Amino acid sequence: MKADVRQPVGGGAADAMPGEVLLSVKDVSLSFGGVKAIRGVSFDIKRGEIRAIIGPNGAGKTSMLNVINGFYHPQEGTITYKGQARQQMKPHIAASQGIARTFQNVALFKGMSTLDNIMTGRTLKMRRGLLAQAMYWGAAQREEIRHREFVEKIIDFLEIEAIRKTPVGKLPYGLQKRVELGRALATEPELLLLDEPMAGMNLEEKQDMSRFVIDINEQFGTTMALIEHDMGVVMDLSDRVVVLDYGQKIADGTPAVVQNDQRVIDAYLGVAH
Amino acid sequence: MVSLGQVLEVLSSGLLSGVLYSLVALGFVLIFKASGVFNFAQGAMVLVAGLALVRSLDFLVAKGIPFGFAILMALLFASLIMALTAWVIERFVLGPLVNQDGLTLFMSTIGATLVLEGLAQLVFGSDVYPLRLFPTDAWILLENLFPGGILVNKLDVWGALIAGVLVAGLAVFFQNTKTGRALRAVADDHSAAQSVGIPISWIWFIVWLVAGLVALVAATVWGTKLGVQFSITFLALKALPVLIIGGFTSIPGAIIGGLIIGAGEKLAEVYLGPYIGGGIEYWFAYVLALAVLMFRPQGLFGERIIERV
Repeated sequence: MKADVRQPVGGGAADAMPGEVLLSVKDVSLSFGGVKAIRGVSFDIKRGEIRAIIGPNGAGKTSMLNVINGFYHPQEGTITYKGQARQQMKPHIAASQGIARTFQNVALFKGMSTLDNIMTGRTLKMRRGLLAQAMYWGAAQREEIRHREFVEKIIDFLEIEAIRKTPVGKLPYGLQKRVELGRALATEPELLLLDEPMAGMNLEEKQDMSRFVIDINEQFGTTMALIEHDMGVVMDLSDRVVVLDYGQKIADGTPAVVQNDQRVIDAYLGVAH
Repeated sequence: MVSLGQVLEVLSSGLLSGVLYSLVALGFVLIFKASGVFNFAQGAMVLVAGLALVRSLDFLVAKGIPFGFAILMALLFASLIMALTAWVIERFVLGPLVNQDGLTLFMSTIGATLVLEGLAQLVFGSDVYPLRLFPTDAWILLENLFPGGILVNKLDVWGALIAGVLVAGLAVFFQNTKTGRALRAVADDHSAAQSVGIPISWIWFIVWLVAGLVALVAATVWGTKLGVQFSITFLALKALPVLIIGGFTSIPGAIIGGLIIGAGEKLAEVYLGPYIGGGIEYWFAYVLALAVLMFRPQGLFGERIIERV
């Protein structure tokens, strides 16, 4: 059980062998009616790495994340996570197995404070029954306080102490993205899916966010899959890159290899759309 | 001649009966806040809870079980019935309609209303069943200050106390507990809630269960006041102006809205009634709601709805 608060975030990484495959996607196809969003894509994510998924608009990147965390159920193919194959999974089950994510258009609970938003990430770690909570007494209260301490550590880590009590709807966009990252971290994920974490940010905010991504990866060993449009960021951060175009995989490898791949240059880097 | 003592008496009885409207309105607010569904079935749920309570109580008392213990057993039984109702509604009515339009969900709760009303009367009977949980006599207060004193109904005071405890309890539950937070989370964003591991169907069950238990509380007070009978479902109509005035998303709003309507309609009945004809009590609330709609459509405490175009 990783519910104790000694270790700030992440966890499960210390005992992991680097290089072991955490998640593999095999021949996955997904379509909505006649629209084929993903066509027979296979790739894997190794423990401890930062894996970028790139591609032009409509390439199927977000659909891929939605498949991994169970929002979409692919018509074909299998997903193997921690050695177990699965085809259908509800998102809250995926979350309970250690898959957390952020969203392309920030999806926060707007009426709630920063603190409460991040506290929702602790939902699965809290064990007290409904009745005990309703009484808000004894063990339930102690549990609440214990998790509150954990969340404070995340708040320190992300340097958002000043906005702890602010309703997130009032925060600027860059900070909202950071709160969303905090909520995902609060679940102590083994696999963190980031959907365009730097979209719409200015240079300074991008640098901050890049630093957090690297720190999370290095300090807690959290495995990450990252969708990003800023090529500079992708090349700097990621260990390996998979490139999608029109729902198909067109390249897979280290940033240097992918950058020089002719199909990628044609589809994405070189040719104007 | 208008005397201060009389004004106070009318005002206090108005405020106290307003709290009883709030009790019904609370159930609506809970479900609307947590799932965005306007639950037309709330009135029917009060009927179901009341019937389950009064019929099982009568049964137990007839068996010779001591009254105090019988009340506890009957409350437990009625709570179970409300839990069953919540589960069935989530599983068979709303569950299949996830991500549908608000109007579709509203229509489905009208369907649920008809089924609940019919089924409850089929199972528990359709007479008027008297319920005696709270004293129904009155206190005469401040007799030395005002001639004749101020008459206060004990039942209304009980109702107000219970409503106060209920609201305080719900506030703590929503603010400080994991499930309360999960409820608010689901209300804000379905997919984000799922992504942190909150199972939506479970949360919806909890919401309907809490609304069912609030209906049970309302049934204990209203059942004592009117007897448990079919017309108790019309309380839902009385809760509507309370919601419009207080705002659909605010628990304190439901209370304040109830107080305004309760006090307003009693004062209007007594002091305007003689000039423009009696019976104001029956329409005053709706006119007040209409006025609020014109000037502050989100209600006094509701969240301002800003739509992006």
